[in-house]
Amino acid sequence: MSVDPNLAFNGLVLLVAGGPALLLVALGLPPLLGLKLSERFAAGLSRLVILVGLLALVGIAGLFWTSGAERALVFKGSDWVVLEEVHFHFRLELIFDWLSIPFAILSYGLCGLIAAFAANYMHREPGYQRFFFLFAMFLLGINTAVLAGSIETLFLGWELVGLSSALLVAFFQERVAPVDNGLRVWSVYRFADAAFLMGAALLHHLTGEGEFARLAGTEGWPNAAISLPEGQALLIGLLMIVAAAGKSALVPFSGWLPRAMEGPTPSSAIFYGALSIHLGTYLLLRLSPLLDRVPALSWLVLGLGLITVLIASLAGRVQSDVKSALAFASLTQVGLIAIEIGLGLRYLPLLHMIGHACLRTLQLLRAPTLLRDYQLLENALGRHVSNRRNPWPAWLSAGGQIRLYRWGLERGYLDTLLDRWLVRPFLAVFRWCDRAERKWTDLLSGRPSRESDLVRPTDELLKELR
Amino acid sequence: MQTETETCPVSSPDVANRLEQAIAHAAHLLPAQGPINVFVHHNTLHAFEEQGFHEAVASAATTFGCHPYLPEEDYRAELRAGRLTEKQIDEALLRETESGEELLAGGLTSRLRLRRAMLLSPQHVAPAAELNWLIAETDALRKYPVGQERAQVLEVLEATKRWALRSFPEERGNSAQASEPFARVAAWLRGTAPGGLLDWSESDWESATLRVLWGLCRQGVSGLPPRAVEFEGVRHRDFLYRWSGSDIDRPVNELLIRFCAAYVDQGFSQWELPGRTRGFYRCFLGLYARPGMSPGAVFDGLAGELQQLLDAGTTATAATLESLERLGVSEPEWDEYVSQTLLALRGWAGMLNQLEQRGDRVPLGVPPRSLAEYLAVRLVVERVVLRNVLAEQGQAGLALTELRRAAARSYSRNPNPSADELRRAFALFQLARANGWTPEQLFAIGPSAWAELVRELEAFDSIARRKIFQLAFEAAYREQVLGAYARHSQTVGLRQVAGRAAASELPSFQIVCCIDDREESFRRNLEEIDPACETFGAAGFFAVPIYYRGAGDAHFVPLCPIIMKPQHYVVERVSEGALEQHGRRKKARELLGQQAHAWHTRSRSFVGGMAMAVLGPLATLPLVARVLFPRLTAGMRRAAGEIVTPPKETELTLERQGGPPGKEPEQLGFTVNEMADAVERLLRDIGLTRNFAPIVVVCGHGSSSLNNPHESAYNCGACGGGRGGPNARAVSAMANDPRIRALLEKRGLRIPADTWFVGAFHNTCDDSVRFVDTERIPNEARPALEHVLSVVEVARPRNAHERSRRFVSAELSLSANKALRHVETRAEDLSQTRPEYNHATNAVCTVGRRARTRGLFLDRRSFLVSYDPDQDDAEQSILARILGAVIPVCGGINLEYYFSRVDVAGYGCGSKLPHNVTSLIGVMDGAASDLRTGLSAQMVEIHDPVRLLFVIETRPEHFLGIMQRNPTIRRLCGNGWVQVATLSPDSDEIQLLRGETFEPFCGPLEELPRVNQSVEWYRGWRDNLGFAQVLAGFQPEVKLSSGPSVGRG
Repeated sequence: MSVDPNLAFNGLVLLVAGGPALLLVALGLPPLLGLKLSERFAAGLSRLVILVGLLALVGIAGLFWTSGAERALVFKGSDWVVLEEVHFHFRLELIFDWLSIPFAILSYGLCGLIAAFAANYMHREPGYQRFFFLFAMFLLGINTAVLAGSIETLFLGWELVGLSSALLVAFFQERVAPVDNGLRVWSVYRFADAAFLMGAALLHHLTGEGEFARLAGTEGWPNAAISLPEGQALLIGLLMIVAAAGKSALVPFSGWLPRAMEGPTPSSAIFYGALSIHLGTYLLLRLSPLLDRVPALSWLVLGLGLITVLIASLAGRVQSDVKSALAFASLTQVGLIAIEIGLGLRYLPLLHMIGHACLRTLQLLRAPTLLRDYQLLENALGRHVSNRRNPWPAWLSAGGQIRLYRWGLERGYLDTLLDRWLVRPFLAVFRWCDRAERKWTDLLSGRPSRESDLVRPTDELLKELR
Repeated sequence: MQTETETCPVSSPDVANRLEQAIAHAAHLLPAQGPINVFVHHNTLHAFEEQGFHEAVASAATTFGCHPYLPEEDYRAELRAGRLTEKQIDEALLRETESGEELLAGGLTSRLRLRRAMLLSPQHVAPAAELNWLIAETDALRKYPVGQERAQVLEVLEATKRWALRSFPEERGNSAQASEPFARVAAWLRGTAPGGLLDWSESDWESATLRVLWGLCRQGVSGLPPRAVEFEGVRHRDFLYRWSGSDIDRPVNELLIRFCAAYVDQGFSQWELPGRTRGFYRCFLGLYARPGMSPGAVFDGLAGELQQLLDAGTTATAATLESLERLGVSEPEWDEYVSQTLLALRGWAGMLNQLEQRGDRVPLGVPPRSLAEYLAVRLVVERVVLRNVLAEQGQAGLALTELRRAAARSYSRNPNPSADELRRAFALFQLARANGWTPEQLFAIGPSAWAELVRELEAFDSIARRKIFQLAFEAAYREQVLGAYARHSQTVGLRQVAGRAAASELPSFQIVCCIDDREESFRRNLEEIDPACETFGAAGFFAVPIYYRGAGDAHFVPLCPIIMKPQHYVVERVSEGALEQHGRRKKARELLGQQAHAWHTRSRSFVGGMAMAVLGPLATLPLVARVLFPRLTAGMRRAAGEIVTPPKETELTLERQGGPPGKEPEQLGFTVNEMADAVERLLRDIGLTRNFAPIVVVCGHGSSSLNNPHESAYNCGACGGGRGGPNARAVSAMANDPRIRALLEKRGLRIPADTWFVGAFHNTCDDSVRFVDTERIPNEARPALEHVLSVVEVARPRNAHERSRRFVSAELSLSANKALRHVETRAEDLSQTRPEYNHATNAVCTVGRRARTRGLFLDRRSFLVSYDPDQDDAEQSILARILGAVIPVCGGINLEYYFSRVDVAGYGCGSKLPHNVTSLIGVMDGAASDLRTGLSAQMVEIHDPVRLLFVIETRPEHFLGIMQRNPTIRRLCGNGWVQVATLSPDSDEIQLLRGETFEPFCGPLEELPRVNQSVEWYRGWRDNLGFAQVLAGFQPEVKLSSGPSVGRG
């Protein structure tokens, strides 16, 4: 019996891409209607969707292989938005090639693992349902972003990943720090997203095209070449590098990464250890034809990677808590991956990402075991275990040591620099606007016009409400 | 900077001493939890024990900003569930209310009635905006609440109707001569519905009544003196925060957390903090004084400030004094100011204090005076940040000495007085609704009555209400316990209690377990399976306090309660025959250890990253296996681990020839006399001095779980967070030694030659029981041992089954064997945050002969301490020494659970899910938070916070005598930190301690439900269960009719 390969392909794609969307609706809709789902339902459905999706992906990989594995398999949905006068079509486009298939299998696999882990770990947590809802959003986002066949589709996934990540950092919303840090992550993401959106719009404007397959000509990834004038490619490339640097916490955006460890352990593991953090470098790989076109962009990526490695490995050395240490260890590797991309390598960084994601997930998931591990180690070695072997290079003076240490402890002052040169001027402008507006409204109404001025910043009543 | 008017106080030693005092006072308040890998339970509010419990929790609520009791809503839920009744609330209210019958508001109500209404009908407290919304947009002024009794509502409506028709006839409606209040009420009435009053329907009247009530309440409270706004705050930070909403603690803490973590780090980070050994102050100065980038805009100027201190050679004390002066903190304020400053980052400050005090407990101690120097640093940093924040808010000119005054002045100008009135009116309105007060009644009372009502309302505040609830909640369970004990005593009959000790028939075996509440079900199950056995409870170090080092361990660990310091060292040595194997495995272990360590650190470096590209995917295999099949994987890991674990053929170095005890090989162990003392102490404490069975098992306990930084907290509390197996093994070996038996016989304690002691270890997480040294048992004793093993083999799954009913993730329909597998999986599951429930639900501590409680289902809620009053001397010296240890230890465990449960975020360590192990010493939430102390939400979620009820089998006068002699017992019992009741040794009379005198307990004695086996009683239930008699465990003396069928609640 023969099955129409096209039909089979479309069916499998539906399972891969549609499953997470269905999951998101199934977990997100009932709470809106006031229904409370059982833990078993949320966790079980997540596992089922992921298992089915994973198998379907393997099936697609089989089709890809049998089709000769030279050209990418492309799935095109029907048009959602059509603006004929500017030749804009928005539709779901997915691409299956040497880049996306391995990474999609990785993200499906790790998400499945995390779903199984979290089903137990989050048991009885009041936010259980919220966690799985955000998790489904993440799954849909990462899946869409990885498989995206056009820049618009990629942006859709990219945004979902960003939103779910920031909300999961702020998962423990009753405390101040997680919300604060979630907001910080969100702000950095927004900044990066703005760059992404500009880049995408520019790409469309200049080429009238957002599809990777058509942009990159006949050859499949990574041999594709792009035919853009160098200046235009440089501009688009720069914007895309900003976007990638924000998502992958490359310099100068690295400061948010340790702050993102506020959420529950499994979400930290999957996002910042494994998947989110690699999405930026994945974007660089996806847009590698741009880098190939303009060598300066490759140099820039290489430079960013180098500085990131430098700062992250230095900061990693002085961290005294396990999650921050792992965060900076992740960052070191992401920096290395960026260096590899900058050097023009393509398969190695992909391999590196996959290997790194797997290992780091394991390490983060079992981070709470640290004390027991140390005890076992001490018992095995029969002595007190210290990580401090030959801490300082011989050539470093005492003052230099202190300076280097402080540089590490302050994480390369990246956050300070961002605050001082980006955030504060930004705030200053808007505060000025606010003052101006207040003056106007006071003038117009002839009296203090802000009702919120009557409310104290803090309320004694809170004590009674506790 | 303002000019300094006084001479610099730095030179005066008196001032420095005074500062030391202030710091010592503050240090006392800091959390007393040490490094987390040796978790010791203790009273969270130990520093307040000199006060009575209720005053203490209230003042601690102010000091720490934590809850003293559960939220009111939780108690009301208990009330709805019937676990707390109105009767107990009334009793507690009566006991606690002064002049409760006094009439208020011109006879409208009495204080007692008012308070009762406030307790029983929930008061909705909300911000003004929400109240406005409630009034305008909801049915608040149209319908009485759904839950309210309708008959009462109808009466009020009826009364309103009569009053309205009588006093507000239509024709007088708008006439000029009506007084103003009358006119107002008339207007409220008319505004309700169109048409004449006579045409109104019931719902119109309901609405009218509520509108008039609301109007009267608003009218009544208007113009009353405003509630004094107490400015709660000590530090500049508090004032600035209330004033402007910006919290300087956030940046300051963030900087200091990083630094503190590096400072106390026990060797996790690869680079050591430079200059750490020079002390906190010098080290901080050295790091941050140098020119370099500031750690953030709010810290601008910090480096300069620090450099000045460095250049002037200012000491930490002088720096603190200078800061206090520049902040304008006068000497009388120091205690409070210093305390609150240190409490701002209490976990880390507490850890500095602990490491300073008990440097012996960690590999890397901290230099002395670290806490005082931390204070110096913190104050300097706060000063700098305060100045920067003020400048940012356009207040750069404001001197720090003036900041608090300025903020308080501005704050005391209430920006919105009507909000306060609205709140008061709504509170009264709710009360009027709930009490069924009619508009007529409220219309009649004058301004002074309104003021009185408001005063009463505000005096009975949230804490006062919750105190009553808490007292009632405790009384409810106490009555259940004491009633059940009295009733059970009647059923068992005293002849049997005494008779059991003198029985001609020997028990089939005896087992001594820890007093731990988790062993209650284990013992009960053993007794049900083999009714001929006897069980005892003794503190789980079994009178052998030691430093112990196992064959595969690197260090000695103390195995005894934290209040003791062991004198003796014991080492586990591999037997001669297995030495070669041991050496081989040790080498393999070291090799593997080195590789593992290298992997741990290198996988985080960038060179290791390359290897990762290849090896990473391989890591998924074990990861998937461990997450999906934890139990199977654990089995495989164990099998593989066999290659490196030390051989099983080992022995303890118990005997020392003489000389002082110590760590050196010839100093290890005890002398024969010391061993005899230990064995005698244990046996006399539990009253096991005759009728020895052929086998006496001594069973220590501990717990093992994965991915759990708090693992040590689940271990034996009497072993100071260690595992009690070695103690059990040691005391058994001692008791088997013929020389020791000979010595004991001389002291009048004869252990027959055919009795054999066996050590064992119970893992309370996976319910495994391991026996040790069984190969040394003589052949004659073997059949008896086989019997013990078979009984324990049946008891394990049953115990696991009973425990599993509490785990929501375990089906209630599990079979016993499946339950055992379930708990085994829990212990090996990386994703399991509740490997077991530890001491959760503990509520009682029973001290006395087991026969008094044997056969009573205690639901794993009672510590069980064996003590035989018949064998005690006239001074009650055995009881005194038992209680001297048991009351602080069990009370400490219970109180830690209490406080972590009532405020898991404040007193406890919050949820486990975001925990992050830091500095190898504790946990933080996320990447930068205060060090979290106390117990986690996952540990205490099923716990009912009640103070531990000691039921002691003794006479009240004996207990009072002991209480007088022992200051600790007196403090804890007299101040109400634990509850005490005595059970008479020769009757079922129970007396309850109130203050320092006993009152007889005369609760209702209800027939207890009877079941044949425990499982019949608990099957299908998740929540706490009431008491029942389990017939398999004892023989009732009183002839039983068929058991009554009583609900389980």
